[in-house]
Amino acid sequence: MSPLVTAALSDLAASRAPFRKVLVANRGEIAVRIFRTLREMAIPSVAVTSEADRGSLHARSADESVMIGPAAAAGSYLNAPRIVEAARGVGADAIHPGYGFLSERAAFARECREAGIVFIGPSPESMERLGDKASARRTAIRLGIPVVPGVEGVATAERARAEAERIGYPVLLKAVGGGGGRGMRSASSAEELTAAFEGARRESETAFGDARLFLEKRIDPARHVEVQILADGNDAIALGERECSLQRRYQKIIEESPSTAVNAKTREAMERAAVALARDAKYSGAGTVEFLLGPDGSFYFLEVNARLQVEHPVTEARLGLDLVRAQIEIAAGGGLPRVPRPAGHAIEARLNAENPYSGFLPQTGKVLLLEWPAGDGVRIDAGIGQGGTVHVHYDSLLAKVIAHGRDREEARARLVAALKRVTLLGVTTNQSFLIDLLEDGAFRSGETYTGTIESREWPAPESIPDEAILAAAVALASRRAAREGEREDADRYSPWHALGGWGRSPAGARA
Amino acid sequence: MSRLALRWEGRAVEAEIELRGSHAVLTRGGRRIEAEVRRVDDWVEIRSGDRIARCGAVATPRGVWVALEGRAYLLERVPRDAAALDGAPTTDEIRAPMTGRVVAVAARAGEAVREGDLLLTIEAMKMEFRLTAPEDGAIAEVLCAQGDRVELGQLLVKLRPGASTGGAPAGGPSA
Repeated sequence: MSPLVTAALSDLAASRAPFRKVLVANRGEIAVRIFRTLREMAIPSVAVTSEADRGSLHARSADESVMIGPAAAAGSYLNAPRIVEAARGVGADAIHPGYGFLSERAAFARECREAGIVFIGPSPESMERLGDKASARRTAIRLGIPVVPGVEGVATAERARAEAERIGYPVLLKAVGGGGGRGMRSASSAEELTAAFEGARRESETAFGDARLFLEKRIDPARHVEVQILADGNDAIALGERECSLQRRYQKIIEESPSTAVNAKTREAMERAAVALARDAKYSGAGTVEFLLGPDGSFYFLEVNARLQVEHPVTEARLGLDLVRAQIEIAAGGGLPRVPRPAGHAIEARLNAENPYSGFLPQTGKVLLLEWPAGDGVRIDAGIGQGGTVHVHYDSLLAKVIAHGRDREEARARLVAALKRVTLLGVTTNQSFLIDLLEDGAFRSGETYTGTIESREWPAPESIPDEAILAAAVALASRRAAREGEREDADRYSPWHALGGWGRSPAGARA
Repeated sequence: MSRLALRWEGRAVEAEIELRGSHAVLTRGGRRIEAEVRRVDDWVEIRSGDRIARCGAVATPRGVWVALEGRAYLLERVPRDAAALDGAPTTDEIRAPMTGRVVAVAARAGEAVREGDLLLTIEAMKMEFRLTAPEDGAIAEVLCAQGDRVELGQLLVKLRPGASTGGAPAGGPSA
């Protein structure tokens, strides 16, 4: 081959790869997932890790990794200057922020830009316009998009009562500075509102150092429906909705597409609203526009998540489109992808390290045994491997299990079957709760609301199957055999209380 | 024949087990189950009649973890001299349900509390958890302060169950 041709070909290859090297400023499942796409696009990848995450699955999934700080996220995954410095150090020309951490911080996007590094996401300007809830709400009103009736800055209980009379009960009080359900109170009458006002104000002050409250009409029962968008700074497209009503502690746990409650007309109206918001903000990249859907089918704009969403695989499964690839191509100036027609139904379940039968308390520990299922229409986005440790410093999401089927029932059955075949030991998870939820009549019939999980008792299993005890006995017997010669018999924690059959009789065992 | 004594979710689990080679007999609560068992690494295959179950099973110093059909069970070891502790769990010790940071302490030593009253709030994994009084009583001692990092199981508050109600211990899940 002539040198000229070789040079031309290498130019072509260089122009095809959107970036020289991409650093992912995140951890866990989303970092692993982004590395997969980078590998498919043949773009070299860089992981950043905290001290606690050295050797973690996400660090091992990248071509190289840089340790950026201590376990606490403030010094590592939230340490913007350190991350920009790491990107420079390894010669990365783009940063993918994932979700959470720095993904929605306009200041970080600005720092990247100033350092000559492409931030794979919206511009800091459009992030500021849409990321702030109050300003996004004002934009929506200006564009004629319905919002939940409400008023900002309710200073006194008297004012709150007057506004509630005007809007109509039930109402919700929310912290202006907050989120995640903190500083949130509901009231169905004037009497309830007085107590709710004081409670919400106190909690907002404690949690956010800001006692300002927002009062709005409570939509009940409500569904949480969101529209996926892609935009390139000029144009925007909508990629259908995801229903994410099933939540506990205001955090989503099961997501699906399409929603059982959205008809073609509502979908079109929601998509039109989402596209209008994106165009108005000259939005670029992937984003999600969240809505509440009322029992009468009317929808209300909630907020924009100016980033990739945890539940994005639900949309990917139906479209056969890689949203991370789309983000990278848009950031490199490649424009919007052609949108395929959606097919079938997809459902995602979030496997979390939490105890579902004890207030969803987060759990920590080391994963001792791990096996993921494989099968038709099943995708696992995991952030941990066998031997990995679940730390107290980060959120409790271990993996997402996503199932796709020709219809909702096929997707549901596949997801249940997949979850039943997940083996994860060493850390308590919500695995059995997810199965119970997906098998429940409410889910089967599509009656899913934001209050569904917390309005009911979800009992823990009453008994433990005989087979599990048999398996425990075999594992303990093997462990004892392996420890023959050690003074296990003197161990006051030995579960064996009298021995026959095999092994020795422990001294001092009770009959 | 061996008697296996463990604890699951605060409840005593007892069974008699005989293992001869791959043949196992389990007697529990009047039931008798015969099975062929095979262990490969951390997996145990159990054949009983025409049913085959494949369980993950890992023994640790704390106990043994077992996975079966989408559920994970932690069977904990019980200290032999702790028989007296079996039964109703003590309700006068409020312990940290997870490792985290104390963000607010509402409990004050000497003060009376009603069941459900907020004692303190712990933050972990970006979420807040409210620890409340399990029954009426009085705060005997507060062993943590705002900002403290606490470990799973650490004693945080001692509660003297309510003398006003006759001090009857609350019935928890019993053995």
